[in-house]
Amino acid sequence: MALTDLLTRREDMFSWDFFIWFGITSVILSALGAFISLFANNHWSQSSLKYRRKGRAAILFTILAVVSLGVFITGYWINLQRPPLRTMGETRLWYSLFALVAGLFTYFRWGYKWILSFSTILSAVFIIINIVRPEIHDQTLMPALQSHWFIPHVMVYMFSYSFLGCAFLLAVVRIFLKRVKIMEAVDILVYIGTAFLTFGMLSGALWAKEAWGHYWNWDPKETWALVTWLCYILYIHLRLLSKSNDRKLCLLLIFSFLCLQMCWWGVNYLPSAQDSIHVYNR
Amino acid sequence: MYELETFVELFRFPLNAILAILWVICNYSMWRNCRKSFIVRFLISKSATISAIAIFLIFCLILGFTGNIAIIHSYTFAIFLLYFQTVLLFVIFRGARRQTATGANRGSVRWRFVLNHLGLLFAVGAAFWGYPDSESYRVRAFRNVPVSESYKIDGSVRRLPYTITLTDCSVDFHENNAPSKYEAEISVDNKYVTLSVNKPYSYKFGEDIYLSAIDTNSDDMPQYCILEIVRQPWNLLVLIGIIMMITGAFTLFIYGPDRFIDKEGRYV
Repeated sequence: MALTDLLTRREDMFSWDFFIWFGITSVILSALGAFISLFANNHWSQSSLKYRRKGRAAILFTILAVVSLGVFITGYWINLQRPPLRTMGETRLWYSLFALVAGLFTYFRWGYKWILSFSTILSAVFIIINIVRPEIHDQTLMPALQSHWFIPHVMVYMFSYSFLGCAFLLAVVRIFLKRVKIMEAVDILVYIGTAFLTFGMLSGALWAKEAWGHYWNWDPKETWALVTWLCYILYIHLRLLSKSNDRKLCLLLIFSFLCLQMCWWGVNYLPSAQDSIHVYNR
Repeated sequence: MYELETFVELFRFPLNAILAILWVICNYSMWRNCRKSFIVRFLISKSATISAIAIFLIFCLILGFTGNIAIIHSYTFAIFLLYFQTVLLFVIFRGARRQTATGANRGSVRWRFVLNHLGLLFAVGAAFWGYPDSESYRVRAFRNVPVSESYKIDGSVRRLPYTITLTDCSVDFHENNAPSKYEAEISVDNKYVTLSVNKPYSYKFGEDIYLSAIDTNSDDMPQYCILEIVRQPWNLLVLIGIIMMITGAFTLFIYGPDRFIDKEGRYV
């Protein structure tokens, strides 16, 4: 297909009907990158030439996967003539993109070879949900959610939850298998997760100030967000200050992740939180 | 009414500001002069840090499960917050600079540590010490009727230094009848502004006017709306704290765990 032809057919190319092709390309490329990275050395940039090539190939494939999604988002954006940030389906597009970017960053920075597999799975899950159930037709947003804080606030939390979810999985593995090395990987994931948890919580505070007048209202969702944050802060301080054994720390991480689930959706079912102003599914 | 409320009234500005400054000065002189004392040694110890976080966590868990907001407005929690801030302050005194070879805290400044901890101290401290000064009032404004009286939640009246007139308000709906937009046009001392959810009007720094509710009972068009006026003079400090913490969190993301920075195996 000639380039001019492509440009004239832009409107068809970048509609939801064509998302499946961009989505699947991205999943395949990122999966390839993740697979190759498993065979590269633990820190690809400091290892021998053979491993370094593999590390670079992994990075290249993941970048191509990001580009594939990025091209679709850009085209879709131009088509819509508004930023694609409104519906659930559209936000999931960004989750899948940022999951890959986050994985890539962590891999590039620390060469931790598991991370690309994880980010691939995360991104693939959201892409597949978008292919199967786009949910683009529900365009109703209640007034409280119509804010420029909506997307960054939610997106940053999803980002954080994905990292902390991985930390939780590693903690569970650590409880059953006594491999020592795993705690350093857990630390990286918890630090990144906590950084984004902080962004999420504080952007929430800034948003709350704009919407309701107070930075902090002690609404059940806010309380549970603080519980989650304090749990991970406690983990970080225990890790830095004391010689707690890894098993106990892993139990704390599992508890933290349960609190996180409570904050994410558990709070909707909690009797004490029935008059929360944060519940949007009723 | 919560148990703290009447007591808190006593600590309005400038008393709260004076006490806050005195509290910082006392703690700093203690840090300078009695470093070997039991209290200072405890406040910079691991147990103090861990216990401060853990007790905070326990308070929040109790609140999370019971939903009983009175816990937050109790003397116990206020005393705990003071303890939390004191520990935070001493931790900052101790950790703001790296240790030199002799063990003195005279090395370079640990920016990431300072941003995270001082930011938290500002945010929590301003919320704590500024609490007696923060007020919220409600105004019920009918179309074209000027009002300058507002009500506190306990029923007390406050005269506003300005007059608010509601000139127009409307509710829009989605196709499925869910509300899509609440909007109110008001004039504040003859200055016209449009309020909607997420778009308050800032009368001056620390005093904002929010659209809280719109009449949905009238048949054709809404007749009144409820405005909320929030006064938080200590706003700026909270905001500075939040910005510092956001910057700190960003460095947390960029540099990752401490142990990966220091090659000699020491935490920086």
